[in-house]
Amino acid sequence: MSEKKHRVSRRQFLTYTLTGVGGFMAAGMLSPMVRMALDPALEATGDSEFVSVGLGEDELTDEPQIVNFQLEIEDAWYTSEQPRSAWIYKDGDEIIALSPICTHLGCTVNWDSNEDYPEQFFCPCHFGRFERDGTNVAGTPPTRPLDVYDVEVRDGMIYLGQINQRS
Amino acid sequence: MKWKVTDIDTYQQAKEYVDTAVIPLIPLQWGKSEKETITMGEFTEYITDRIENQFTGRVFLMPPFTYLKTESSEEKLRRLMEWDAHLFQQGFKYVFYVTSDVAWKSLDKKLPDELIWIPAISSETMNSDQLKKTVEQQTSQIMPLFTGKWQTEPNNRDE
Repeated sequence: MSEKKHRVSRRQFLTYTLTGVGGFMAAGMLSPMVRMALDPALEATGDSEFVSVGLGEDELTDEPQIVNFQLEIEDAWYTSEQPRSAWIYKDGDEIIALSPICTHLGCTVNWDSNEDYPEQFFCPCHFGRFERDGTNVAGTPPTRPLDVYDVEVRDGMIYLGQINQRS
Repeated sequence: MKWKVTDIDTYQQAKEYVDTAVIPLIPLQWGKSEKETITMGEFTEYITDRIENQFTGRVFLMPPFTYLKTESSEEKLRRLMEWDAHLFQQGFKYVFYVTSDVAWKSLDKKLPDELIWIPAISSETMNSDQLKKTVEQQTSQIMPLFTGKWQTEPNNRDE
């Protein structure tokens, strides 16, 4: 191929530049659209935040103890701190954190609070009872076990995540 | 349960389990010691909220019963007893009146059901953590009044 043949004609030059500029503009317009379309898919899903309860792993025993913590709730534009509690204990190496909300009608249950039912979670409202692992005692009003929190240990401290229903 | 639309649906499904009404008694007075009066009302609301939170499934927290501090005892009593009779007829077998206003203390005997009087603690000098603790402690002390009451037969309202 000789040098001569490589000369760019005016027509070619214009075609190249216009395609180049046009393509650049199209990309500029399309890329935000593509990003918007993909954005929901890229977003982290269900990865609710873990909250410190201010308790170290070494402070846990096999006896359930109550911890109170604050959870930031975002309701539209309004963010509020809501108090949450959990009954937390060690079962062997596993850490269990149970929600204290009775699955019957939502009263707060207490551990080992009724003399007649030692070593059980007891609901003062309608005498619902749960075993240590949160299983509802048959014959009492609740129909499913206490909900459990996701638990994480970071640097020896306990963090609780989302609440999970069991059936 | 609270005086909320969302709670009334739950109530209707679980009516037979909800047999206790809590009525906060909250005074109004302007021009003289507003601060004390507001402190009373505020504290009563904290306490009743906490009671509701602990006993959600059995207690229905009613809107506050409000009155002028200058209202006569007879009139207040008459009005409150009307509330009480109405709720009792509608299936609330236990009614608790919760207040920080000491004026009710002398009417205690005349009331058809349980009066809970808790001296108000001003939240002014407390941060939110301290306030929460105080309210929790105070409430845990009056919770046995509820569980105890539930062991007994409801009071009769003879007209």
